[in-house]
Amino acid sequence: MRLLDWIVLLGTLGFIVIYGVWKTRGSKDIEGYLKGDNSMKWWTIGLSIMATQASAITFLSTPGQAYEDGMRFVQFYFGLPIAMVIISITVIPIFYRLNVYTAYEFLENRFDLKTRSLAALLFLIQRGLAAGITIYAPAIILSTILGWNLTVTNIFIGVLVIIYTMSGGTKAVSVTQKQQMAVMMGGMLIAGFMVVRYLPADVSFGDAVAVAGKMGKMNVVDFSWDWKTSWDDRYNFWSGLTGGLFLALSYFGTDQSQVARYLSGKSIAESRLGLLFNGLLKIPMQFMILFIGVMVFVFYQFNQPPVFFNEAVRNKVQATAYADDMRQLEEKHATVFGQKQEAVKGLVVALRTDDEAAIAAAESKVDMLTTATKEVRSDVKDLITKAAPDAETRDTDYVFISFVMKYLPAGLVGLLLAVIFSAAMSSVSSELNALASTTVIDIYKRSVRQEGSDKHYVNASKLFTVAWGIIAILFATFASLLDNLIQAVNIIGSIFYGTILGIFLVAFYFKYIRGHAVFIAALLAEAVVLYCFMYTDIAFLWFNVIGCALVILFGFIAQALIGEKPKEIQQEV
Amino acid sequence: MEILEETKKAKAQEDIDKPPFFKSWAGMYWLVLGNLAFLIVLFYIITKIYE
Repeated sequence: MRLLDWIVLLGTLGFIVIYGVWKTRGSKDIEGYLKGDNSMKWWTIGLSIMATQASAITFLSTPGQAYEDGMRFVQFYFGLPIAMVIISITVIPIFYRLNVYTAYEFLENRFDLKTRSLAALLFLIQRGLAAGITIYAPAIILSTILGWNLTVTNIFIGVLVIIYTMSGGTKAVSVTQKQQMAVMMGGMLIAGFMVVRYLPADVSFGDAVAVAGKMGKMNVVDFSWDWKTSWDDRYNFWSGLTGGLFLALSYFGTDQSQVARYLSGKSIAESRLGLLFNGLLKIPMQFMILFIGVMVFVFYQFNQPPVFFNEAVRNKVQATAYADDMRQLEEKHATVFGQKQEAVKGLVVALRTDDEAAIAAAESKVDMLTTATKEVRSDVKDLITKAAPDAETRDTDYVFISFVMKYLPAGLVGLLLAVIFSAAMSSVSSELNALASTTVIDIYKRSVRQEGSDKHYVNASKLFTVAWGIIAILFATFASLLDNLIQAVNIIGSIFYGTILGIFLVAFYFKYIRGHAVFIAALLAEAVVLYCFMYTDIAFLWFNVIGCALVILFGFIAQALIGEKPKEIQQEV
Repeated sequence: MEILEETKKAKAQEDIDKPPFFKSWAGMYWLVLGNLAFLIVLFYIITKIYE
């Protein structure tokens, strides 16, 4: 990192934090602190929703995903616009009519206190763990690449977020997310422009896309479906449309970190427009990030890539008795690369001639050498497993950041690091704000102290923001002690998300089922999900579907057995 | 007078809750779904062209 990079990085982050504190200064009541006085316009809501969803991993992993697997990941988002429409029609009017602070508050109106508290607790466990990972995941990559201390990086991200989130509440989260989105989009567009500019002079943009296509990276949509194999394929049109729809419905409809974003709207119209704005722009944004990854892939067809993108792991192996083996594999990789580079140049020339036979011959040569490269990389990963059994052999998260660090000029490196930090901060701030509001509104104010003053609850919200921030930093700091932590947190998320979604779906669409029945159903469904987790081999993503479906099924059965009478408020809902 | 005031308020709220560019929210929803359909078709064409 050069001086100019430090100035750009610290200047950008410092400006955002100071702006967030300054813009939202002054005393607030609880409505102002947790709902931003319901003053947000649709573009602020829309950008805030997008910034909350886009974590640092979005900008680190997604280009690497495209480098490895092409564009098809974009299909994962096909269900999102449909979910935005459904939530705009059904969820937003109900939340506004009941004037709720949190999504779980609605559950008491529809069912009872115990169902509300159960859903709030499930959310706090799941999102509390996720906040730590949102800090840890970019910190581990940045500390590896930049040689920074991991604990210091965790504390740096966490403390910056705590300062403005605690100071300004929901409004500070939303206003800073506008700046953060500007940094993220600006930085990524510049990175995309630079990678195309760095292609050889005789390779045009059109040539680059054509080469990417011939090498299987422009596989945007796949409509095919095989009843035997397609269930395991996460990224095809059908799984993207259905799985993506359910995931987006539960995330945007029941997760307080997103619900708080649109509940701060000036009116129903502003909140709806904010969500629909996300529905219009989310897919093009993901397409752009993936396409940058594809261009990085093309760039590395003409420039020697490292045999393994995680340099720290490579150095670790070189310090062991396997150093010679590693060197030999690196030499072999360089030789194959030299041949492939010539073959790809031949493919570019063939594509310009439109000669089918010449294109097929060049393509076949490139395919053969690509397979050879993959074999060398596979051997390297086997060697890493032998030399450093604890080391991570997946290096796709390091592809984009390693390109940025090695090839971008001074200043732009700082800007791209600011993109990653901004993305981490925007997600964490929404999470801390949501954790604090759920703790205060659904637990503390409702069940611990009901008679406090407005000022008391604002102070409690600030205190819980800091407390959750410290928990997140501590979790991020000790995360490296656990094996395969990110997967562990994903599993924990899947264990609870299905049940929460099931409770909300019953609340919105099955008026027959009432308080006691849905509570019993949720407990039973959670027990079955836990049983599946501990005693079966079912893939954890299916826990979402199982938990959700069982809450509805058990809810109907329990309601039929109980035969409870509806509350007056339920008819209102 | 009170009723007139309430009606005015309801009318003002209705105006606030109206979508821009369209007469009803259905138009906005179709715009989002139409955009999705357009993107899927566009992506399919890209996939086929560069296959």
